[in-house]
Amino acid sequence: MSEQLPQNSPQQNEDPLRPHSFDGIQEYDKRLPNWWLWTLYLAVIYAFAYWFWFHWPSVGGIVDQGVEAEQELNRIQMAALASGGAEMTDDQLWSMSQEGASVAAGKVTFMANCAACHGPELKGGIGVNLVDTTWIHGGKPTQVVQTISNGVLEKGMPQWGKVLGKKRILEVAAFVLSHHTKDEIK
Amino acid sequence: MKNEKTTVVFDDDIVRKFLIVTILWGVVGMLAGVLIASQLAFWKMNFNIPWTSFGRLRPLHTNAAIFAFVGNMMFAGIYYSTQRLCKTRLASDFLSRVHFWGWQFIIVCAAISLPLGLTRGKEYAELIWPINIMVATIWVVFGVNFFWTLAIRREKTLYVALWFYIATILVIAMLYIVNHLQIPTSLLHGYPIFGGVQDALVQWWYGHNAVAFFLTTPILGIMYYFMPKAAERPVYSYRLSIVHFWSLVFIYIWAGPHHLLNTALPPWLQSLGMIFSLMLWAPSWGGMLNGLLTLRGAWDKLRTDPVIKFFVAGITFYGMATFEGPLLAIKSVNALSHYTDWTIGHVHSGTLGWNGFMAAGMIYWLVPRLWNTKLYSIKLADFHFWIGMIGILFYVASMWVSGITQGLMLNAVSSDGVLKNPNFLDTVNSILPMMHLRLLGGLLYLAGFILLAYNILRTIRMGKAVNGTIEVLEEEGHGAEAGFGFWKIFLNPPVMYSLLIIIFTMMFGVGPDTLKFFALVMLIFTLIAGYLHMELSGSSWGEWYDRLLNHAMPFTVLTFLAAAIGGSIQIIPTLIMHNKSHIEGYRQIPYTPLELAGRDIYIREGCYNCHSQMIRPFVSELMRYGAYSKIGESIYDHPFQWGSKRTGPDLHRVGSKYPNSWHFKHMENPRSVSVGSNMPNYGWLIEDKTDLRALESKLKVMIQLGVPYPKRTMEEINQEAMAQGKLISDNLQKEGIIVEPDREMVAIIAYLQQLGKSEKVDQSVKE
Repeated sequence: MSEQLPQNSPQQNEDPLRPHSFDGIQEYDKRLPNWWLWTLYLAVIYAFAYWFWFHWPSVGGIVDQGVEAEQELNRIQMAALASGGAEMTDDQLWSMSQEGASVAAGKVTFMANCAACHGPELKGGIGVNLVDTTWIHGGKPTQVVQTISNGVLEKGMPQWGKVLGKKRILEVAAFVLSHHTKDEIK
Repeated sequence: MKNEKTTVVFDDDIVRKFLIVTILWGVVGMLAGVLIASQLAFWKMNFNIPWTSFGRLRPLHTNAAIFAFVGNMMFAGIYYSTQRLCKTRLASDFLSRVHFWGWQFIIVCAAISLPLGLTRGKEYAELIWPINIMVATIWVVFGVNFFWTLAIRREKTLYVALWFYIATILVIAMLYIVNHLQIPTSLLHGYPIFGGVQDALVQWWYGHNAVAFFLTTPILGIMYYFMPKAAERPVYSYRLSIVHFWSLVFIYIWAGPHHLLNTALPPWLQSLGMIFSLMLWAPSWGGMLNGLLTLRGAWDKLRTDPVIKFFVAGITFYGMATFEGPLLAIKSVNALSHYTDWTIGHVHSGTLGWNGFMAAGMIYWLVPRLWNTKLYSIKLADFHFWIGMIGILFYVASMWVSGITQGLMLNAVSSDGVLKNPNFLDTVNSILPMMHLRLLGGLLYLAGFILLAYNILRTIRMGKAVNGTIEVLEEEGHGAEAGFGFWKIFLNPPVMYSLLIIIFTMMFGVGPDTLKFFALVMLIFTLIAGYLHMELSGSSWGEWYDRLLNHAMPFTVLTFLAAAIGGSIQIIPTLIMHNKSHIEGYRQIPYTPLELAGRDIYIREGCYNCHSQMIRPFVSELMRYGAYSKIGESIYDHPFQWGSKRTGPDLHRVGSKYPNSWHFKHMENPRSVSVGSNMPNYGWLIEDKTDLRALESKLKVMIQLGVPYPKRTMEEINQEAMAQGKLISDNLQKEGIIVEPDREMVAIIAYLQQLGKSEKVDQSVKE
């Protein structure tokens, strides 16, 4: 880059300067570089082809992104539901709550998503207290899972099922249940 | 009279004035940038004070950088070069001074009003209506002064720099006026006349072309004057100037909708935005080529002359940014990049790299000449160059990493059909190191610019102000030659062929199938005929253009037409077709008085700077936010609030998602419910009373704008607002939170809880 072109190189002498000078500024009239022209031409041709393809109803036609996304979401959720396996019983959930790995995973999810309202100590705040002995929406393990999944919209508890997915919901439930004794859950 | 020589003394005093304020506002604008960058990294930098919170200072930063820094730099460069390219003093010393002091007054007004929260809520168009009128007036003063100078020029032919100045003045006037159409509700507030999708389209037609015609074309003109001057080399190619000027002016205007890809904007507009952005790549690079290749035979100066260093780096950044732009305008790339820091990085490689470095080069070249001395320290200027360069690289690279990281994290869906990162804050925390790096980059860049200020100050103190002069022969005479009549402008092969090409392209674009074929055949035929005609007619097309360059008015008319076509074709059908009855099945429910008051608080605090209200039709967004946003769901929003950046999550469906108490606590101290949030505290909303008295005129204007409100008296409005406020306040009280129903907090909660509510409308029923 920093190498100096010889001022009297033949190539430079051949360049015709335009006759006019503006405040001492002169202009060459070099041909447009081919690669530059082709960048322009190809972009224009692509533009025509793109329009032709997406906005000529009898050819391709633009897809409705919204409808497509909704169908895809539906497909994913149906698949997730199908692969979810059999529903867990109260007893299975309870044993899950006594098992370290699930509880630890549930704690991570809880702190990131639930602690905002139920507090890091689970003692409530915006949301209800989860470590006392009152169960407003049922204290059976399956009921707790239901409440987390479907939410209690009128009280501001969101539906977490679609957000967190089944696995994480079960882990969160296990984490919550791990704060209780077996007598407290009914 | 013949051969009698007179001396023309240029008005360089006005150039000096503009140069000094360029440096001053440059420091202020960049300082504001560094401050808001620090607020994103460290929320405490918001200081819990209304007028220093991010949402209010970010518009201050953008307005200062664009209109104060680049604006004054542009005026200095245009006034210096135009006098010399026209061989005449500026037409009116008085108008020049009105322009100068008027513009500085506007900047001061902006610097006061924006932190106070007086805003229109539209990006880069935030200033309130009284200031809008001042801006338009001063712009006209500038235009009159400029075109008057052209009219009395002694140099008949318009040099390429002047073409770009002409385009700048005309197009900015057009954009500014249309995007600022509004109806005042009070002395300090007004609602834009466009709403929803229309406002979105007009806003980004303006926003994108403010970049084009405020940050690009004037600087290209400045490049065409100062680059050959500094390099002492001829411009690379005159014909490249012609081709890239006209293609740039014509194509740029169409590209605005690329800011609204994958939104509720109608697909045909999105497609136009994307394909015109791609076509813009080559015209932009034409400018880069002409700038860089002018240095052929003088590359050695790159080692020794700081001016050339800044120009070459600036032009290279221009090339980089104008390649990145079309890339980001590809719909699938945009799906990842939009709403993320990638866009922020893109803009700053343009502003810091292209605008900032071109400004620095111009200042270092001009100041020694305007004060008749040498630059105080070349070493210091070199140091400025390198520290600035490292600053930009830190800035841009960190934003690339940040944008791509967050985009990927937000879009990721795991195999069991849920979001991989359901918590938005996880994605924010993972880009935190990049925010620190960006802050460092900004600091370095600012430090470099302060070095410039110091260097220039010392240079000025060494020198003495002088005004440039030239000797002219009186016979060179004033004004342009006569004899380029109205029809001559249009009735000539180049213009007619261009017109036919545009007409046939339009027919191809929107016509019915049979017409499409015909149009395509005719288009190809016209292209071949035009090409053959040009080849056969030898140099006559070139001569026509040379003659056109002797006539400023016809040239101006053609430039305006070229720039006006794109906007007209996009905006006029949108105003007609996508009006308030075009809703695609869902219609927004008009805001209650209290919600409207809350919405104006939302706008005042600049929430739209960090939160979008536009859920895109992607699976990950549907999972994260809910149903995608439909076109009819924001028709009553004057201005629209679709947003352009998600520093926080989208809010379109936040209504009813959380209890009132969650919102209260979140706005009082976001970290109490969202651990790790970088949102400022909005404690003052609890203390301040909602301005209910303003609602009467606001609702009246909303009715004028077509929002179906019943007629209500002031009394009724008040009662309704207080009743709704009481419901929220009572609800909060149950959770142990005491707040009066007439507080701003209650109004903004009312607004937020209503977001995303719309009614389903049976489409089979005719509107």
